Amino acid sequence: MLTPKQNMLEVIRGGNPDRFVNQYEAVQLLFHPYSFSSPLLQKGQENVVNAWGVTNTFPEGVPGSFPVHTPDKIVVKDIEDWQEYVHAPSLKFSEEQWAQIKETMWDPVDGEQAFKAAFVAPGLFEQTHHLCEITNALMYYITNEDEMHDLIKYLTEWELELAEGICSHLHPDAVFHHDDWGGLDSTFMSPAMFDEFFLDPYKQIYGYYHSHGVDLVIHHSDSYAATLVPSMIEMGIDVWQGCMATNNLPELIAKYGGKISFMGGIENRAVDFEGWTDENCEKVVRQICGECGNKYFIPCIAQGGPGSVYPGVYMSLCNAIDKLNEEQYGIKASESTRLPWQIMF
Amino acid sequence: MSKIEEVAALVEKGKAKLVGQAVQEALDEGCDPMDILNDGMIKTMSVVGDKFKNGEIFVPEMLVAARAMKKGVEVLKPHLASGSTGALGKVLIATVSGDLHDIGKNLVAMMIESAGFEVVDLGVDVSTEKVIEAYRANPDTRIICLSALLTTTMPAMKETVTALNESDFRGSIKVMVGGAPITQEFADEIGADGYSDDAASAAALARKLVAA
Repeated sequence: MLTPKQNMLEVIRGGNPDRFVNQYEAVQLLFHPYSFSSPLLQKGQENVVNAWGVTNTFPEGVPGSFPVHTPDKIVVKDIEDWQEYVHAPSLKFSEEQWAQIKETMWDPVDGEQAFKAAFVAPGLFEQTHHLCEITNALMYYITNEDEMHDLIKYLTEWELELAEGICSHLHPDAVFHHDDWGGLDSTFMSPAMFDEFFLDPYKQIYGYYHSHGVDLVIHHSDSYAATLVPSMIEMGIDVWQGCMATNNLPELIAKYGGKISFMGGIENRAVDFEGWTDENCEKVVRQICGECGNKYFIPCIAQGGPGSVYPGVYMSLCNAIDKLNEEQYGIKASESTRLPWQIMF
Repeated sequence: MSKIEEVAALVEKGKAKLVGQAVQEALDEGCDPMDILNDGMIKTMSVVGDKFKNGEIFVPEMLVAARAMKKGVEVLKPHLASGSTGALGKVLIATVSGDLHDIGKNLVAMMIESAGFEVVDLGVDVSTEKVIEAYRANPDTRIICLSALLTTTMPAMKETVTALNESDFRGSIKVMVGGAPITQEFADEIGADGYSDDAASAAALARKLVAA
């Protein structure tokens, strides 16, 4: 039996996977000193200002924290003078800080079983709307193109410095990078506008990771983004995590399999709701796995990290995939060498 | 190109800085202010909405068009009879309790306003009590629109719609719902009058509901 990591590589390379990869089993999401200097909010925390000056809230019952954009809390008051408002947080961490995280968080993870993936969020597009407010930001892409290019360049340089620190100290073999680029059935912007603003910056960022020891760039966007897949490939994304069923995944797999893999297909709205059941989770798993097969596809909840909004849903999906693997491939979960399940949410 | 066509073209392209001047020039040439509003702006936004729905344009283009129309209306307003810009009636709009998403709500608000309604935006994370309070403060409201983007906030939407259905003013309003996890089936189940899956359709539905 292949290890979860070997199996994931077979899936991505179109080789001979011996079963479905079970959601995040082959990817351990790990943090770095910046994660703790601008901490991710815990459920229930409200109005916490992060290192960029963005106020965030994480109400109960939602998948993650959310920026608060009452007029007084919008960071960029005037896009033409964004430099006056946007001040990137320092990434100067001591060797001790890096070493402590490496020893306590990274080294204990068995790298034979799972990729050690640096968790980076938010991404460039998300950061622009966290700083400017989303309606403003989307308009600025038309009304203030130059300023948005400059702002994205500034954010990119900061991300490259972060990437340098991560690669030189933690030596990840994967990066798990968030940036939501669309809604349920459409991207936020046209592919042409997306390329104009984001293609080169992400080529730089993901190119850096790839040239510094990272095998897999896993990009999270729980959305429709089928029309952006050619750009994703050009940027160097190996796995698009969060792809919703609305993207017509079988078609994408047939068209782009071998150049990029798709990790998702299980939308939270299909399984993760009040009154959720194991039966429904299994039904959704069987359907998407039946449609997509196990090459270039990893069945996974769409949200950007292991877990679910309603406790129990994520493990129910894991159990359903294990059951399917036993039925379809004769692989028993009890024989798997995978690491203990990581549940972040 | 007539002056009204010029206004329409500028609105569609989202040229907010130029629309005001074009509206003024149309007025100076003797164009009827209502024609400028209806033919130069409201019809244009309907075209913009259709293009968005068909995937020809995206959120940024729709937002700048709506903003341009707003700029044009500012110049036009003193020349219109009172209430002309919101002639179809008042709409209250909110994202339901526990939900902080606002882009979908904002798009619907802009498209409904562009269709000729007066919109009162109650914001995000709005409780049932606040929705009812807002109606009491705006008893001429014709439609209440509720948005939810999470499965976890669908129960909050149900709670608000149920409270509206049990209110003494239910006969005076229509209730519309929308958002990524919402379906026509769910809208029917909770007793809403209408559901739409995009902002352009929401504006068309609002017009239909008040005409009924």
